[in-house]
Amino acid sequence: MNIFPENVSTYGQEIDNLFWLIFAFVAIAFVISLFVLLYPLIKYNRKAAPKAEYITGEKRKHFKWVVVALVLLLGSDFVILYCEHDAWGQIESVPAKADVKVGIIARQWNWIFVYPGPDGILNTADDVIVDDMNSSLHVPINKNVVFELRSQDVIHSFFLANARFKQDVLPGRTVVRWFNLTKEGKYDISCTQICGVLHSKMRNFVMVESEDKYKHYIDSLYTANGRKTAMK
Amino acid sequence: MDATLHKQSFWSKYIFSTDHKVIGMQYAIMGIIMAGVGGFLAYVFRYNLAYPNASIPLFGHLSATQYNAFVTCHGMIMVFWVGMPVLLSALGNLLIPLMIGTDDMAFPTVNMLSFWIFFLSAVVLLASFFVPGGAFGGGWTMYPPFSAGGYVNHNPHFFTALFSGVSLMILAVALELVAMLMGGINFVVTTINKRTKGMTAFRVPIVVWFINIASVIFMFSVGPLVAGAFMLLFDNILGTGFYDPARGGDPMLWEHLFWFFGHPEVYVLLLPALGVLAEILPVFARKPLFGYKPIIYMALVSAVLSVLVWAHHQFVAGIDPRMATFFSIGTILISIPFAGIFLSFMATLWKGSIKFSVPMMWVLGFIGLFLIGGLTGLFLGSNTFDIYAHDTYFVVAHFHYTLFPDIFFGFFAAIYYWFPKFTGKSLNAGLGKLHFWLTFFAFNVTWFVLFFNGLAGQHRRINDYSDFSLIMREPYITFEKIATISAIILILSQFIFLYNLFTSLAKAKKGVKNPWESNTLEWVADSPPPHGNFQTYPVVYHGPYEYSLPGEGADFLPQNVQGKNDTNNVTQNNYEHKTATSFATHK
Repeated sequence: MNIFPENVSTYGQEIDNLFWLIFAFVAIAFVISLFVLLYPLIKYNRKAAPKAEYITGEKRKHFKWVVVALVLLLGSDFVILYCEHDAWGQIESVPAKADVKVGIIARQWNWIFVYPGPDGILNTADDVIVDDMNSSLHVPINKNVVFELRSQDVIHSFFLANARFKQDVLPGRTVVRWFNLTKEGKYDISCTQICGVLHSKMRNFVMVESEDKYKHYIDSLYTANGRKTAMK
Repeated sequence: MDATLHKQSFWSKYIFSTDHKVIGMQYAIMGIIMAGVGGFLAYVFRYNLAYPNASIPLFGHLSATQYNAFVTCHGMIMVFWVGMPVLLSALGNLLIPLMIGTDDMAFPTVNMLSFWIFFLSAVVLLASFFVPGGAFGGGWTMYPPFSAGGYVNHNPHFFTALFSGVSLMILAVALELVAMLMGGINFVVTTINKRTKGMTAFRVPIVVWFINIASVIFMFSVGPLVAGAFMLLFDNILGTGFYDPARGGDPMLWEHLFWFFGHPEVYVLLLPALGVLAEILPVFARKPLFGYKPIIYMALVSAVLSVLVWAHHQFVAGIDPRMATFFSIGTILISIPFAGIFLSFMATLWKGSIKFSVPMMWVLGFIGLFLIGGLTGLFLGSNTFDIYAHDTYFVVAHFHYTLFPDIFFGFFAAIYYWFPKFTGKSLNAGLGKLHFWLTFFAFNVTWFVLFFNGLAGQHRRINDYSDFSLIMREPYITFEKIATISAIILILSQFIFLYNLFTSLAKAKKGVKNPWESNTLEWVADSPPPHGNFQTYPVVYHGPYEYSLPGEGADFLPQNVQGKNDTNNVTQNNYEHKTATSFATHK
């Protein structure tokens, strides 16, 4: 059984791998700790051991066991930190080559998608804005999609579980992030920062399509003169 | 201090009392009442999660607005109106003067004021449920601009804005912090100035040390939050724009101010409960606490580090990605002293002679649950995995695995252990064990399954998941139901405790002086201790954990009993005993 939802992004696998790496350390630490906790409960209970030994634990030969355990823990922590470092940099910084640029705007209570107009440049007058409760962000498969996240009102958080991506969206800031999705399909975008009464209903989709279908969709937006709702 | 010397009316004895024991119990009772409120809120929204849109027994239909308010207030109440009063205030008040061998707090009147401000803060919070619009529903972190109001209303009507759910919640939190600050100052001043003869710093029991360290952490971190809270209040009622980007403010400012307090607060809650563990473990292992001084040093190190890790709550908030590594390292570093403290506790068990009394069971359960809570923290301390796990049920399950044992197991361990001290009666052990096992199992079932829901991508604070295909599938729907049923069992189990409490209180006093054969000074006083605590102030000869010391007759050696190895060094340490009456004002 896969405990994660299906991964469809290039960097998602690294997050899953990181989980299992940490899990390995945690599982070992858990088993050892549980033994250290439970073994004396059996071995040294009042019936089996009526008399306790006087150990203050302040002598070096006793306390060294705690120090050894802490060094091992610290070591594993830094192994984890080392292993995750590349993935963090990869996810949190934007790749040099952006194939597609889109704007994503959070508002109570849906996600608004902004496609660059025929000039191909975002944040110009000919941008096409899709603002609908159930709309999808259309992206081409296997392309670096760079998006600008903004909020119109309160704090929201853009969460695409299938891509293992999450980013808070604070009003007054623009956050630029990216993903590259590798499987066609329709995936949930949710908002993970409580944003009001319809927070639960703040759900849109990402539609990953073949290059052709994507082009067709963008063209249809242009021809439909799809300026549905202008940004305030 | 003979009680007949100063006759007290009911009001001055039980209500407006300056006696640290009465105030401690007032805090504990208030905490239990608020835990009832917080537990009821949890029952209502957990029921709603398992059975969306169903009519909830004892409540009715839960709207989305109410759901948000209930989730928010559940968190607020459990942290500020249960954890803080029972762990810091109740334990600090009940234990510090008795354990350091004095008659009362340094400032008894300030102490009384502290409780009544706390009481007022609880009233203000509960009142917020009944104002138009109901209680605030934006999460206990109260992130603006959602909580600032200003983004919809630049010219708020002052009184309408003041008597809104959000303003009342901010006021309630600010009042609560003021009350805790008064208590904290009292604890530190009392511990520094009022220790009895021979009670040197390294003879003070760990719980007193830890409550003091927690108080210092609290005092250090609370200032920015109180300032931030008033800025948030002004945004709401005066139309300022501290957190409104449209007028030059920034919501990130609040996130920093909140978590600069909010993360140290975790240790403020954790340390007193760890102190309880440190008191109970040696008594029922009949063995000295493993590494008394290293434990104190590790706690001091963690106190310094606690103010350097706050932004690990903001990994995905839009802070500079390069900053995250710094806070990840800080988070890793602070886990080390706490791991060391827990390891020392577990080492205390080795080669002991362990008795499974009811308080000991809560202590062992605490360590077991916290093990899971602490280790799952490793996943979240990793900033990269946190991108996925942040604001999912994985986080929620993680912090319930830390805070639930901390607040409730810590508190129950303390109650079952010190109940004979403060009442002269004892709780029923059979019912205590039943209470323990039901709580332990029900808690585990409730939260363990929800780790999986979190990993499946279930995000927090959603009253209705029907739109989310990742959650609306098996086994996650069943897990929600299991969690809810188990949470109801968990809540119902607490009635066993209440029944035990009331029936035990109705029994006659036994007057047992030291039922657990413990070393610390509180057991030297009568049970219950009279106003003024000790007939004559005890003199301390050695540390608090001298159990099974070779060469002594009994397997325990109370701090006020001179052992064979103890030189009479009390006069040598040149400690001038300050009589309590020079500080405390008695009527």
